[in-house]
Amino acid sequence: MGKTIDIIKKTRTVPEEVKEKRKEFVRIKKLIIKSLKEGPKTIPQIAKESSVPAVEITYHLMTLRKYREIITGELDDMDEYFSYELNNTK
Amino acid sequence: MQEENKNREFDVLVIGGGIAGQESSLNLANMGLEVLLVEKDYSIGGKMIHLSKVFPTLDCSACIATPKISETARHPNITIFTYSEVKDIEKSGKKYIARVIKKPRYVKEELCSGCQECEFVCPVYVPDQYQYDLVGRKAVYVPFSLANPRVAAIDIDNCILCGACEKVCPTEAIDFTMEAEEIEIRFKAVIIATGFNLFDAHNKPQYGFGKFKNVVHSMQMERQLVPTRPFNAVLRPSDGKMPDNIAYVLCTGSRDKSVGNPLCSQVCCMYSIKQAQLLMGALPLADVTIYYINIRAFGKGFCEFYQQSKTMGVEFVKGKVAQITETENDNLIVRYEDIFEGKVKEAEHDLVVLAVGALPNPDVPDMFKNEKVELGEFKYVKQVDRFACPARTSMEGVFVSGTAAVPLDIPDSILSAGAASSEVNSYIKKLGI
Ligand SMILES: Cc1cc2nc3c(=O)[nH]c(=O)nc-3n(C[C@H](O)[C@H](O)[C@H](O)COP(=O)(O)OP(=O)(O)OC[C@H]3O[C@@H](n4cnc5c(N)ncnc54)[C@H](O)[C@@H]3O)c2cc1C
Repeated sequence: MGKTIDIIKKTRTVPEEVKEKRKEFVRIKKLIIKSLKEGPKTIPQIAKESSVPAVEITYHLMTLRKYREIITGELDDMDEYFSYELNNTK
Repeated sequence: MQEENKNREFDVLVIGGGIAGQESSLNLANMGLEVLLVEKDYSIGGKMIHLSKVFPTLDCSACIATPKISETARHPNITIFTYSEVKDIEKSGKKYIARVIKKPRYVKEELCSGCQECEFVCPVYVPDQYQYDLVGRKAVYVPFSLANPRVAAIDIDNCILCGACEKVCPTEAIDFTMEAEEIEIRFKAVIIATGFNLFDAHNKPQYGFGKFKNVVHSMQMERQLVPTRPFNAVLRPSDGKMPDNIAYVLCTGSRDKSVGNPLCSQVCCMYSIKQAQLLMGALPLADVTIYYINIRAFGKGFCEFYQQSKTMGVEFVKGKVAQITETENDNLIVRYEDIFEGKVKEAEHDLVVLAVGALPNPDVPDMFKNEKVELGEFKYVKQVDRFACPARTSMEGVFVSGTAAVPLDIPDSILSAGAASSEVNSYIKKLGI
């Protein structure tokens, strides 16, 4: 049986804005993953290293955590920041 | 749409599947009446299913809500249309006719097992409206873990049409050819249970919501306090730091003529006190300050709950907040009038929660053709005989349940839903058809 995606593609196009947003997510995702390959880090550490504002790192990292690409590590000695690491079991 | 639902007759149409709509539907169904429940969201449950705990008992909200949701979904006398909207309703003799639009979710409900395989392969991330934008979701997604029906949906506006979901679906539930369907329904009475809207905190620009990263609203804090929370703990959005000095600004968008809502929202004082207590449990070292105009702790056990929060260390400051500004390290300066001392003061916090109020849902008046259901002074559905028949509206056969009529907490919404169902039952008995 043919796939229904081929039918909708005949009548619908993907808006540029949607494509751009996806590219931007993927860009930040790659930076986060690159940074975490070196080991567990906090959000401010990842932000500093990747030159992406920490607020954006929080949003993207928490989304990746939701989809189990990243897991939560330890809380620092000051009880302020958690570290995060790649989920290597995925 | 299953053929048997087309052109069907029901006794009652209930619009809105929050706690009030569910309670009214269940009562009527248990009286032997046939109910159609129309919900515009992907799932029934309303706001309650997204709350953490409930005041003043601190019982888990989802633990109370889910059995009722399941009972509603399984009741043989209740038919539910989710992701559907009532286009119009027209009187026809002693009955009503409604045209209901069932929007396409591009996933066949009867085939989807809720396994989320599609969600894991989808390459698109967009803000998750069920986590109030604190994290992302995919373009194909099961709306939230307790959704009923627990069925995926495709956000077609954000879909890149890659087809990965369709390839991976083990039950062949994905169907991009789905279209909106219009269904005509006949019934004898209507219950409006469309609930309330949250005040949009952007409309109070002096508080900086959407501009300052650590100003959140109370529904975002509810989400941070549930087990299915967006973050791994209660954290500041700006940098993932655990906050240690949190402020609540009560009456954000309530009792405020400047934003067009002079009404008290009834629940913000108590839900803020609830959240403050939960925060003290989640962050034992944190300070929590509540800026208030008056604390309205009027219900059973509410005053004791308020006193308990004081003994736990929550600080209450009688002061109207004028403005919030941001410091270099993303902390917030709250400028307020200390009403007891008659002085303007400032205080620094690392997270501010805006206790947003309730607003009327504007969907209601437009639903009726040829006739309009009257609204009251504050634009909620008018209760024409509030003391004798609180569910009666300006239209015969049309009743109101829950917060569509006035801001209420959950127990009062349930009471109101009970009143609506018994008034509908006696109305239908009197109709004699
Ligand atoms: C932050 C916060 C915390 C709270 N905490 C508590 C608490 O601890 N204890 C407590 O007692 N109360 C609490 N409340 C109040 C509680 O949320 C309400 O009492 C309750 O949700 C009211 O239920 P409802 O069914 O009337 O409305 P809603 O929950 O608003 O449900 C309305 C339903 O109707 C649907 N709908 C809307 N328009 C349409 C349409 N046109 N067609 C079809 N469907 C439609 C909506 O999608 C929704 O499912 C809190 C409220 C907030 C904002």
